[in-house]
Amino acid sequence: MIDIALPAIVLFLIINLIAGMLRVYRGPTLADRMLAALLFSTTTVAALLVLAEWMQLPSLRNVALLIVMLASILSLAFVGLPAGREEAADEQ
Amino acid sequence: MIGLALDLLIIVSLIGLAIQSINAASLFRGILHFVVLGLAMSLAWARLDAPDLAMAEAAIGAGVTGALMMIAYRRLIEIQPDQESSLRPPPSRLAVPIALAAGALVGVIGLAAIQAEPMPALAGTAVLENLGSTGLGNPITGVLLLFRGFDTLLEITVLLAALLSAQAVTRQVDLDQSLTTQDPDTPLVGALLAIVVPLTVLVSVHLLKAGGQETGGAFQAGAVLAACGVLLVLTGRLGASRQYSPLVNTGLLVGLLSFILIGLAPLLWGQPLLALPGLWAIYWIESAMMISIALTLVLLFAGAGSLKRRDHG
Repeated sequence: MIDIALPAIVLFLIINLIAGMLRVYRGPTLADRMLAALLFSTTTVAALLVLAEWMQLPSLRNVALLIVMLASILSLAFVGLPAGREEAADEQ
Repeated sequence: MIGLALDLLIIVSLIGLAIQSINAASLFRGILHFVVLGLAMSLAWARLDAPDLAMAEAAIGAGVTGALMMIAYRRLIEIQPDQESSLRPPPSRLAVPIALAAGALVGVIGLAAIQAEPMPALAGTAVLENLGSTGLGNPITGVLLLFRGFDTLLEITVLLAALLSAQAVTRQVDLDQSLTTQDPDTPLVGALLAIVVPLTVLVSVHLLKAGGQETGGAFQAGAVLAACGVLLVLTGRLGASRQYSPLVNTGLLVGLLSFILIGLAPLLWGQPLLALPGLWAIYWIESAMMISIALTLVLLFAGAGSLKRRDHG
């Protein structure tokens, strides 16, 4: 049972990732794309944790820890972008 | 069965993300797709049973490159606000034929590689057989420091050379531009730093220590420590400095120098070069390399020769 449930959960999470990818692709605003990318980190963490259990690779928990710890850096760099220019710069 | 579907999905999204990150409609989208590509890549390494690579990818991708590209993008739109439209040169007519030829070449080589008789992995089995006598549990650390130590020594040298050449082309005026992304006194920033900075230091030391027996090592630990430095630069706690500080320079050199000195020492008592005298030497070199790698990455991020502390309130 657990042998099927764990990979099925990872599969579900990865389908979630692909749905999130659509949001990064379609936008429409920079903030939408950015939030989708951050959601990506969260889902990757979940997928890594389940993979660690399923593949018996406990080190993957450390990888998940790193992603949780460092995800905020990208958003800090993002908020430094000049405001108001978002849509104009992204209309191309 | 589910595993196969999983791997196929990861492969398809990797290819899609790779195409999007070099071919996106705007630079910003390209950057985000590249960041997401890094995350998907770490999932792929995890599926390939390579947690070390997954960890390096996660630490560098989430901690350093994403912020680096975001800062570069900000500089670009400050210099020239309509960057987006002018940056893209018209595609050459040769692009499609070259892409097809390169694809065909990869296909042919791939087919040949699949059909060729697989060679027994001599080096890998030799490492696993001899690992027991070294006291290390992680074959990757064993390869990096004992069996192929010379390569690692050269890699550390290359990292230093990369920093020196980056400094050679950095203009002094650029150092005056702040990398700080927002008001450093925002209360949320202080709270974030109070949690994340001690945690990164703790985790990097943990990874360094774990490197002897399981996944981890100097490079991953250094990347995490570098991410901590990037965070401090972004929030204005550390700034680029023009004055060379002895402390920073010592930190930059300590990895290379320890490796060279400990590697030369065995010659004195008739042992071969780089025959490290024991576990203590491995941990010493790993710790020194962690500090050097972290400092090099932070200085590359700040584009500076040195760092200074900035106080706020």
